[in-house]
Amino acid sequence: MSENESRLIRCFGSVFPSLTEDEIRAASDDATGSWDSLTSVTLAAVIQEEFSMEIAPEDLPELHSFAAFRSFVHRINPAGE
Amino acid sequence: MKLIDALELLKKPVAKGARSFHVILACGFTPLHFQTFLAAELQERLPGRRVLIETGLFGDLAGNIERLQTIAADAFAVLIEWSDLDPRLGIRGLGGWRPSSLEDIARSTERSVLRLQHALGCAAQRLPTVVCMPTLPFPPLFWTAPDQAGSIELQLHKVAAALAATLTEEPGIRIANMQLLDEVSPLSGRYDVKSDVVAGFPYRLPHASAVASLMSGMIERTQPKRGLITDLDDTLWEGILGEVDVDGISWNMESHTHMHGLYQQFVASLAGAGVLVAVASKNDSALVDRAFARSDLLLPRSDIFPIEAHWSRKSESVRRILDTWNVNADSVVFVDDSPMEVAEVKEAFPDVECIVFPKGDYQGIFDLLKRLRALFGKSFLTEDDALRLKSIRNSGNWRDSGEPESGSSDDLLRTAEASIVFSQTRQGEDAREFELVNKTNQFNLNGRRFGEQEWRSFKSDSGAFVLSVSYKDKFGPLGTIALMLGRAEGRVIHLSAWVMSCRAFSRRIEYQCLKHLFETFGADEIAFDYCETPRNGPLREFFVQSFETVPIPSFRLTNEQFSSKVPPLYHFVEVKCSV
Repeated sequence: MSENESRLIRCFGSVFPSLTEDEIRAASDDATGSWDSLTSVTLAAVIQEEFSMEIAPEDLPELHSFAAFRSFVHRINPAGE
Repeated sequence: MKLIDALELLKKPVAKGARSFHVILACGFTPLHFQTFLAAELQERLPGRRVLIETGLFGDLAGNIERLQTIAADAFAVLIEWSDLDPRLGIRGLGGWRPSSLEDIARSTERSVLRLQHALGCAAQRLPTVVCMPTLPFPPLFWTAPDQAGSIELQLHKVAAALAATLTEEPGIRIANMQLLDEVSPLSGRYDVKSDVVAGFPYRLPHASAVASLMSGMIERTQPKRGLITDLDDTLWEGILGEVDVDGISWNMESHTHMHGLYQQFVASLAGAGVLVAVASKNDSALVDRAFARSDLLLPRSDIFPIEAHWSRKSESVRRILDTWNVNADSVVFVDDSPMEVAEVKEAFPDVECIVFPKGDYQGIFDLLKRLRALFGKSFLTEDDALRLKSIRNSGNWRDSGEPESGSSDDLLRTAEASIVFSQTRQGEDAREFELVNKTNQFNLNGRRFGEQEWRSFKSDSGAFVLSVSYKDKFGPLGTIALMLGRAEGRVIHLSAWVMSCRAFSRRIEYQCLKHLFETFGADEIAFDYCETPRNGPLREFFVQSFETVPIPSFRLTNEQFSSKVPPLYHFVEVKCSV
């Protein structure tokens, strides 16, 4: 597991405390019941703080799954892969 | 605290059956991450409670305060920002920033302030209330250049400051200290424009964390320290008394020893606020006496008790001082310029807060004063704060009169001219009562502590009584020294809390308390909500020695048992308010 992924799993785990690591990897706004607009904003804030990066409001709708966040983080922070 | 740490802290399970700690949060913006930080900070301070936070509607601070204050809770937290006083002072509204609008903004702000003042005054009567005044910078709406403050801008600051000053006069309100917030969260790092516009949450995360930390500290305050033990040479003054003699020690600008004068001035301010101050110095006691005769000392001899000046170990001096004060080590701070002495005391008393006095370090001494203020700071001063040192001296006189601590002789008690006043203060705030019930350890029925809201609820319960007991004798007043809480049901009194200050031992006040209960309520029995604690041995001993009764939970004492064992009581008793 890359450093980025491990940190991302911790971020998701803090916002979705009931999910296992495997469930986090499969998480998306469709499949995860507790994923709503409020958790999206919280998730974005936690990830911005954790990775010291900015997420533009227009990017937020695209970030609807763990996989999407992982790709986004990879783009911004390739050194963590 | 980072947001992820706050979220993880809140994930931790709370013990089953844990009581909730319910906080109402009123603000005009989306509370979002601030709510998370506040919950996490409080959860950290209250590990045995389940912290719950309830919030109001977006954009309606005054309405939220008016609505939410009716909810039963433990505390009320209120965040005011400029845009709550007039939306044009924020950036989410587009109401106009023309110079011609500014007067109207000022007028509307004054109207909002009046409404807030009224709403907060009402809220504080129901709930302990903490308020944070505006923390965010103004947007660029004023026509002056940024380096010049405009008239309206200053007027707005004045209106907010006046509101804060007025609110501090309300007994149930505490205002966040902006100077501290400025230190931990610089103004330029507070405002998140994007988050304000997109999500309605205007704080950057570090600022939200800082404000939450500040407010949680006011909601759940740790008990302030009670006593300061200070060294003399190179601490209270510069110079070694034994080497330079009385005239050689200094604390002034000319000798570049001014910071020692500042330390004296600070310690005198602590003494004035009821903090116990003692000296532990390896010194010749006659020399020390001569030094304290100097008229230019900023900390007079009368503010200090006791002075331990001899060549024994410092830990021995600390032990004797703790005995004299009769306080626990964890409520005391020890300051000495010698790291070795500090280490020796720390080893003997791990619970004492031990601090090395940073002699010669101007900034270090200034920072020490700030640290001491944080350790000793309290929310209010009571009349008893002024009496504390005097009454401890008087206890010394009482002991010096040749009587053992337990069982003062009848002669002394008969001639002490002691009087006791029982008062019932159901209405209003009584800071001393609240302080007494929450910090007394030794003569304490069960160690029960009260939150502010719990205390208020108990006092307003029409079926319950809260009796406070004050005492004085020819040696001086002790102030309010005991408290009894309970309810009378038929001919049985259920006593749910009973505390008495250790300063009041050996005066048979505890017997007078029980006598008063039996007589006032015409009771046959008192049922005690007793619970053994690590520190309430003196209360246990009172029952064992006086009534041959080993206290157990819910034990009872009959009037007959009491009457057959009570020793002669010589107090003059006054009842200020009958139950």
